Order: sequence, then C-alpha cells, then structure tokens
Amino acid sequence: MSVDAAVETKTVFGSEVPQPPQHGAAGGVMRRLNFGTGLVGGIGLATIAGWVTAIITPSSASSDTFAPMEPTYVYLAVLLGWFIGFMLGMGAFVGPLRWVVGRDITHSDAEYMAGKDLGRKRYWKYTTDHKVVGIQYLIVAMLVLGFAGLLAMLIRTELGMTWTSLFTPSFYNSMIGTHGIAMIIGMIVIISGPLGNFIVPMMIGARDMAFPRLNALSLWLFVSAVPMLVSSMFMGGIQDGWSVYYPLAAQAPPGMLGYQLTIIVFAISTAVASVNLMTTILTMRAKGMTWSRTPIFVYGIFAASVMGLYAFPFFQYAQILGLSDRVFNTSFFDPLNGGSVWLYENLFWLLGHPEVYVILIPSMAVALELMPVFLRKPLFSFNFAVAGIVGVVALSGLVWAHHMYMTGWAPAANYPFMLSTELISIPVGFLVLVAIGTFWRGTAWTRLPLMAVYAVVFNKMIGGVTGVYLSDVPADQYFHGSMFVVAHFHYMLMGAGLFGAMAGIAFFFPKMTGRFLDERIGSIGLWTAFVGFQITFMSMFVAGLQGQPRRVLDFDDQFNLSNWISTIGAYVIGIGMLIFLSAIITSWRSGVLASSNPWGSKSLEWQTATPVPLENFPVLPVVTDRPYDYGVPDPYEVEFDSTDEDLTEKVGTK
Amino acid sequence: MARRSRLGMWFFIVADVAGTIALVISYTYLWSLNVNGGWAPPGATLTASQTNTALPTTPPTASFAVEWPFWAILLVVVAATALMWFGYRSARSGNHAGLLIGAGLSFLVTVAALVFQWIQISTFPFDAGDGAYASAVLLLCASNIFHLLLLLFLGMGIFMRARKGLIDKANWYQAQLTGYYMTWVCVAFLLGAILTTFLVVSPNTDPAIFGTFKQQ
Repeated sequence: MSVDAAVETKTVFGSEVPQPPQHGAAGGVMRRLNFGTGLVGGIGLATIAGWVTAIITPSSASSDTFAPMEPTYVYLAVLLGWFIGFMLGMGAFVGPLRWVVGRDITHSDAEYMAGKDLGRKRYWKYTTDHKVVGIQYLIVAMLVLGFAGLLAMLIRTELGMTWTSLFTPSFYNSMIGTHGIAMIIGMIVIISGPLGNFIVPMMIGARDMAFPRLNALSLWLFVSAVPMLVSSMFMGGIQDGWSVYYPLAAQAPPGMLGYQLTIIVFAISTAVASVNLMTTILTMRAKGMTWSRTPIFVYGIFAASVMGLYAFPFFQYAQILGLSDRVFNTSFFDPLNGGSVWLYENLFWLLGHPEVYVILIPSMAVALELMPVFLRKPLFSFNFAVAGIVGVVALSGLVWAHHMYMTGWAPAANYPFMLSTELISIPVGFLVLVAIGTFWRGTAWTRLPLMAVYAVVFNKMIGGVTGVYLSDVPADQYFHGSMFVVAHFHYMLMGAGLFGAMAGIAFFFPKMTGRFLDERIGSIGLWTAFVGFQITFMSMFVAGLQGQPRRVLDFDDQFNLSNWISTIGAYVIGIGMLIFLSAIITSWRSGVLASSNPWGSKSLEWQTATPVPLENFPVLPVVTDRPYDYGVPDPYEVEFDSTDEDLTEKVGTK
Repeated sequence: MARRSRLGMWFFIVADVAGTIALVISYTYLWSLNVNGGWAPPGATLTASQTNTALPTTPPTASFAVEWPFWAILLVVVAATALMWFGYRSARSGNHAGLLIGAGLSFLVTVAALVFQWIQISTFPFDAGDGAYASAVLLLCASNIFHLLLLLFLGMGIFMRARKGLIDKANWYQAQLTGYYMTWVCVAFLLGAILTTFLVVSPNTDPAIFGTFKQQ
C-alpha cells in the first residue's frame, strides 16, 4: 500500500500504518481522567442536580393519586446526575466526541488507552486492553456478589432466629429484593465479564477485542450502575422481590427508581458487551480455527451474548415503562387507566428466563473446557455439546410463561409452555451427559478446578431434576411461591453458576495473575462452601415441600427446624466463600509462580507468555488441530485397526 | 475493520429491534385488552362500553391523535436516509462534493424531523395520564426522539469527518453503517405509524374490570 509522504506513519507489526494527525499536544484531557475524577464528576453532578431539582420542585407536588413526588424527582435527578457525571469524569465521552469532530486518536493515544507502561494505574482508568477489563470485571463482580452474599447472611439470620425479629418487615423485604437482583447481575457478569474479556480473545488467537473502547464502556457502565442499586436501600429499598411485580412496584417507595435505572444502564452495558464479544468471535478467530476447532468455552460465551442481546431489551423496556408510570404518570401497568400488570410480567420474563441460561451456559462451558485438560482425553462428543448450547439458545425465548402459570394469564397457554420448558431440558441434558461421558475412562488429575467441576455437575443435576417438576403445570400449583422454588433456582444459579465461576477462576488464575491459586486453601474453601450449600438448600427443599412460602418474614413453627438447619448451612457457605476469597487474595499477592502453560493445555491462550504481553501474541497463531485431542489417536484403536497381533507388547496395558 | 464494524452495527440493530418489539408488544397488548375500558382517551368518540367511566375527574376533552403527522415525520426521516445513502454512493464514486451535500443535508433534514416530532408531541390532544393509548403513543414518540438524537450524532459525525477527508473513496464504510442504521430507524418509524393509524380503537368491547393499585 502506498502511503502519502506527508502522512505520518507508525510501524505496527512490521507494517507501515498511516496515522491520523495529532490534534494539539500529545496527552490531552483523556490522559488525566481516572476513577477518581469519575467519582468527583459523579458525586458533584449528582449533588448539583439533586439540589437544583429540590429547589424547582414544589414540595406540594403529588401524583394523580396524591403520592408526594418531590423525593421521586430529586432522587431521579441525583441518579441521572451521578451517571452522567461519573461517565464524563471517567472519559467515556472523549472517544465519541473526538469521532464526531473528526479528531481520531493516534496510535500512541490508543496505546496509552490500552494501558501501555501505566503499571497498576491502568486498572483505575478507562483502559481498553481486554486483559485489564477482564481483571476489572472480576473485582467489581466479586464486590457485587460479596454485597449480595452479605445480604443473604442477614436474611438467613433473620429466618433462623425464629423466636424474634431482627429487622422490620419493610427492611427485610428490601434486603430480599436487593439480594436477588444484585446476585442476578453479579452472576450474569462473573464468567462472561472476567473470563469472556480476558480469555476469549486469546483463546481464539486475537490481539484484542473487536471494539476495545466499547469494552471499556461496558465495564464502566456496569460500575456506574452499582451505586444506583445500593442507594435504593436508603430510599425505601426494593421491597417487591427481584422481579418487582406490579402492582407492588407501583406502590413502592422511591427506591424503586434505583432498581429501574440500574436495570436500564446494566442492559446497555450488556448489549455493548454482547455486540463486542459476538463480533470478536465471528471475525477475529485465528487462521485455521474453523468452528470444529473452536473451543467450547467460546461457544458458551457466544451463546450467552446472543441471549443477552435479544432478551435484555425486553427487561430494559419493562423498567422504562415502569419508570414512565412512576415519573410521568403514564399507565402501562395501572389497570384503572387501561394498563395491565400482565404486560409487565410478560416483558420481565422474556428476559427473566433466558437470563438463567445467560448464567448457566458459560458455567457449563467453562466446566467442559477444563475437563479434557484434567482428564487428558477429548471432550465426549464435542458436537453434542455444541448441539446442546444451540438448542438452549433456540428454545430459551419460548419458555418464559412457565413463570406465570399461577398468575391467571392465558391459562390455555400453560400446556404449550410446559411442553417447551420440558423440551429445553433435553439440550441442557446434552451438556450434562457430555460432562459425564468425558469423566468416563478419563485419567483424572484432580486439581482444584476439576474439584469445582464435580460440584457443578452434582448441583446441576439436582437443580435440573427439580426444575422439571416446576415446569409441570399441576405440580407447580403446589410448589409455586414456596421455598422449593427458592432452593431449585439456587441450585441452578449458585450451585451450577457460582461453582462454575470458581472452577473458571481457579483454572485461568495462573494465566490472569501469573500465580497458582492456593490449592490447599482454595480446596478447603470450595468443599466447605459445597457442604454448606447442600445443608442450606436441601433443608430448604424440605421446607418448601412442607409448604413454607417464600419472601415471608414470620412463618409457622412447623418450619423452624428446616430454617435453623438452612441458616447454619448458610453460615458454612459464608465461611467457605471467605476462605476461597482469602485464597484468591493471598495467591494473587504471593502465590506460587506459574509457568505460561502449567496445566499442559492445548488451547491457544496457554501458548503465549505469562504475564501476557499487551498484544497477546508476538505473531498471530495458525490453528492446525482440534482443541481437545489429548491422547488422540487412541493407541488401542490404532493397533486394532492395523490388526497387529502383538498388541500388548506394543502399547502395554491400558 | 470495515467488516467488524458492519457486523457490530448489525448486532446493535438487533438489540434496537428487540427494544422496538417490546414497545410494539406493549402497544398491541394494551390495545387488544382495553382493561377497564381505559385504552381510549376520555374524550374519544366511542360506544358507552368502550369508555372508561372510572375517571370522573378527567375533563373529557382528550381524544385520539391525528394520524397524518406520524406519516409526515416518517417521510422526513426517509428523506434524510435517502440523502445519507446518496452521500455514501457519492463517496464510493469519488464525488466528494456529493458526499458533503448528502451528509450535510441529511443532518439538516434530521434536525427538521426532530423539530416536527417535538411539535407533534406538544400538540397531542391528550396528556400522559389520559389512558393506555396516550401512554403508548407518547412512549413511541419518545422512542422516535431517542432515535433521531442518535441520527443527529451520526449525521454530524459523517459530515464533519467528510469535511476533514476522513471519509472518501477509499474509506467509506462509516457512511454505509450510518445508512444501515438510518434505514432501520425508518422501519421503526413505519411500525409506529402503522400502529397509530390502523390500531386505534380497541376491538375489545367487553373489557375486564379491575380496581386501581396505585399508591394512595
């Protein structure tokens, strides 16, 4: 390619790349922005917006049903001010503004934004490098899960102290709702965020994500949403469960705005991340990486992105309509003025159920990804695993109304939805069967990641089987709204989802940090949490079968024993999680150094150096083999094919 | 880069389509149910069974919106889109002046669409509290404004970049992507115009009656 002599060029991987002209001195405002300026911008603008709104809103302002509106307007202004100010202070608008005025960033600017030579400072900035974003996602997701876990401990403490009440009913309800949505958000992010960003580009042999700036945008949008959610607890809280059904949500205090804006912002973050991941996977796979040579984890992340992309807007719009009802007096969900609460439930569950698979599929995929490595044999039917993932994605949008059997909405639709829900257990079953098949005749190298996979498979089977009962219309009439449902979805989301995340973190920890996750402390934490998990939720199954309703603060004495056991189990989970967390922290600081490929894996991310260089690979790799062909060809099969009589002498006993 | 950006834009459009479908579902769902006879604004000319009698305090002056402005605004947005495609075609054929004219006029016509949309909203014969129809139409218009603001951003970017020579015969894909998005926005406006023209009076003449749940 000929380059105009007047245009400055830069050598990038041996090629002369023309550079956009540098406007002004190098090191513009974006080099001065960081998390600190984001906080200052967010808090500053929130304060100003809230103050101005309080001044201009008459204290007598009320809705058409005489509810006072001043706190709602002020809180809304504070949240919007926080969001805009924080993103402004982080530098999120610098790139778009420079694009619109035609002042593109230079290669040197891009390298700065990628965190080159910035050391640890890069973790506090709007950094575009996918590895930094992955680490940032990991920290923020763990903080969110820790916050939600703390609420879980408080909830279980309340339920376990059957002889007294620690909290008011309103605050208890608020803890339930906040715990639920915080856990859902944290679980959606905990694999796709850290591992999707850090590992996937390397796994497919790419230098970065397709849109690095969008990568940073998705992360910081997520970060900006967290304070909104936490702040809602100080404004009356989310007292209606994580699903915030109407009419309860319409009657809720202003804290509901925190929930609504959190979801709206988080949905944008998810859409941005999904677009980025899908584009990266489709267009940036290494030469030779055909679909049959693409690792199963990449399929899992791609599937989660597809479901997030098509389903999240329904959830987002449900919240936009609800916010509009609350602030602008529209009537989407108010029956008096022609609205319908069933509309909300449909929009909500159009995301609400696919979201289960957004959490579950990456978890199963990470389990299937690491099993061949530790069992030293190929994945049992790669094609069935892919078919399972494709089947789940295809059916995920057709099962939402099984959450609404008991609401009275379209009773004639119950049986088609029962059928579709039971159908989806088939592709999910494929994934479990592939996992079990991979165990079969494997030579297990039982390290911490594989132990976590044992837990995932066990929990997934319990959660899956109990889910089939709930998909059944007659059975659901009994189980609906009981602790049985709570136990079931905790087996799916926590038992399979969170333990899968622990497997993934333990497996990829050496690549992400250059050190091994402490095997001994990590294992103690894992199995402590696993035992506590079984105690908590098996007991909750019993309470549900006895008929204990969920989300109820005071209950009959016949449920006391189950709740005492559940609470003890919850404390054991908490202790186990703290031990696992301590393993992460101490290993990150001073763990045993790991080589670049400590597990002897065949996939691409392990073939580059640790710490991973900024551009991942010095030369882009070419894929010539499948990712899981450990021990292939099987020596026995080769010998049988050649009809060699002296088989034992040649290959020995297997 | 062009291939990646094109695919990324298609995926963003998929997310936007899903959101628009959520709005269409909301509109058609409430239109078909006519809960409490509350779909139509209180002053609309309807049969007694279709009128919401539970709103005695609302002055019966509100009525359905006039249909033609929805189509007129759609036509303006289509014109802006056509101009952007003209600019893109010009860029590909090396006609830089054509690119500047197409992108510049597209931006100005989008500004006009935004103004028309704002005038339409401010002159509706109903308020947000006048029933489900009013709610659904206002939110469709809010969605239109959101789309128009995005088009303004993209249109200004294309024009400014074209002026600086960053979009030309060799590097035209950003104009093409903007054209894709504008075409989708036309479809979204068309859906809104169809809904507000052909699904106005609810077919449900025997609606379910429920009480109110709002905070007292």
